Amino acid sequence: MTQDLVVFKGTKDGVYIYIRDGNFESIKKELDIKLKKSSSFFKGGKIVDFKGKSLSNDELKELEGIVRDKYNLKIIEKKELKVKSFFKGIEEGMTKFIKTTLRSGQKIEYNGNVVIFGDVNPGSMVVAGGNIVVLGNLRGVAHAGYDGNKEAIVAAFALQPTQLRIANLISRRPDEDIEYPKWPEIAKIEGNEVIIERYLPKK
Amino acid sequence: MGKVIVITSGKGGVGKTTTTANIGTGLAMLGKKVVVVDADIGLRNLDVVMGLENRIVYDVVDVVEKVCRLKQGLIRDKRYEGLYLLPAAQTKDKSAIKPEQMLELCNELKEEFDYILIDSPAGIELGFQNAVAGADESIVVTTPEISAVRDADRVIGLLEAKGLNSPKLLINRIRPDMVKKGDMMNIEDMIDILAIDLLGVVPDDEAIVVSTNRGEPVVSDQSTLAGKAYNNISRRIMGEEVELLNFDHEEGKFTRIMKILFGK
Repeated sequence: MTQDLVVFKGTKDGVYIYIRDGNFESIKKELDIKLKKSSSFFKGGKIVDFKGKSLSNDELKELEGIVRDKYNLKIIEKKELKVKSFFKGIEEGMTKFIKTTLRSGQKIEYNGNVVIFGDVNPGSMVVAGGNIVVLGNLRGVAHAGYDGNKEAIVAAFALQPTQLRIANLISRRPDEDIEYPKWPEIAKIEGNEVIIERYLPKK
Repeated sequence: MGKVIVITSGKGGVGKTTTTANIGTGLAMLGKKVVVVDADIGLRNLDVVMGLENRIVYDVVDVVEKVCRLKQGLIRDKRYEGLYLLPAAQTKDKSAIKPEQMLELCNELKEEFDYILIDSPAGIELGFQNAVAGADESIVVTTPEISAVRDADRVIGLLEAKGLNSPKLLINRIRPDMVKKGDMMNIEDMIDILAIDLLGVVPDDEAIVVSTNRGEPVVSDQSTLAGKAYNNISRRIMGEEVELLNFDHEEGKFTRIMKILFGK
């Protein structure tokens, strides 16, 4: 038996139409047949959205056309896409403590803040939903606020990362040799740039 | 349609990565469009030797898994136009890629580039199988040591079994003074054992250490002996006839004066 390309699913909001991967013409045909079969059932119902296979705008319009015009079903205006949620606990929230040095090839991924008691060596990577604090040298790649929190920071006793990412911004170490300061530093987004400053400016 | 060349050796530490970086850069300096692919997943180095480590966002595993597009995975060299790097993943291992995927990747790269150089990992296991999967030609790197030559011999056998019929030999880290004294295997001995065509000889040169640590392939400095050797090798790959460097003529002033004084 071939798998259905079009499946209806009722929810409290109304009916969702799930579209599976397949030829668009067959999808159209199947949608038409299924609606015809049970047109009395759907009468006056509300279709909320198409889900599943990613449809191009034109394809989506065509399917909506069939549903609305041929079978007289209402399509509820799509609610504004919810703003993508990201980890917000950077003031106070889930935190992972790593009590070792990260060596080349090791990777820590955590949807929260990450504190490392040790170094982060070149070739290793720390990816955190929130802040990254390294009580040691940060020489690898650090990505704070990876799911979109631009307020996230990266701090280290010696902040010398190969690459530093905060939210969707990427900055990298300059190609020429630079002299690093001897004090702890903190990196954050200001404007549309990653900036680095010392975190106890008066000391 | 480009050419895929795998650079391999069997033994570790003989200079595969240095060779890949320098031939890649050498070909790009001669105006070719080149991509160097690091197939040493989990122990990547090519990016460091080329000074491009800080630019890596995606890697070869992301490309074959279609996490990103091929174009996004390619890192443009900071010095030479037409030179690109496809870095290895560092946090995964060799099993992250299958030979079929590598073959597909090579075929895709061939459309775009004149030369695709694959830096093979040491060993003859999965990483090596991946590296040779899409190759049209191969370069075997060896140093003048019995162990390296033995491994090179093994690898040549494996390459021939894969249908890569005429591997080319690159002898690395020759010290002409030691060869002359009979303390080091000479070129003829190695060719005698391995019986494949010689692509070139690169002398043991301090400049390599300096350039590797700075992330600038030595071939861009034509005042060095090793740089010249790599330039010649690149030209030979392009089909030019270039004579082997005569290292005797390149010795330092000091040695020459000593020779005059002591008639050695």
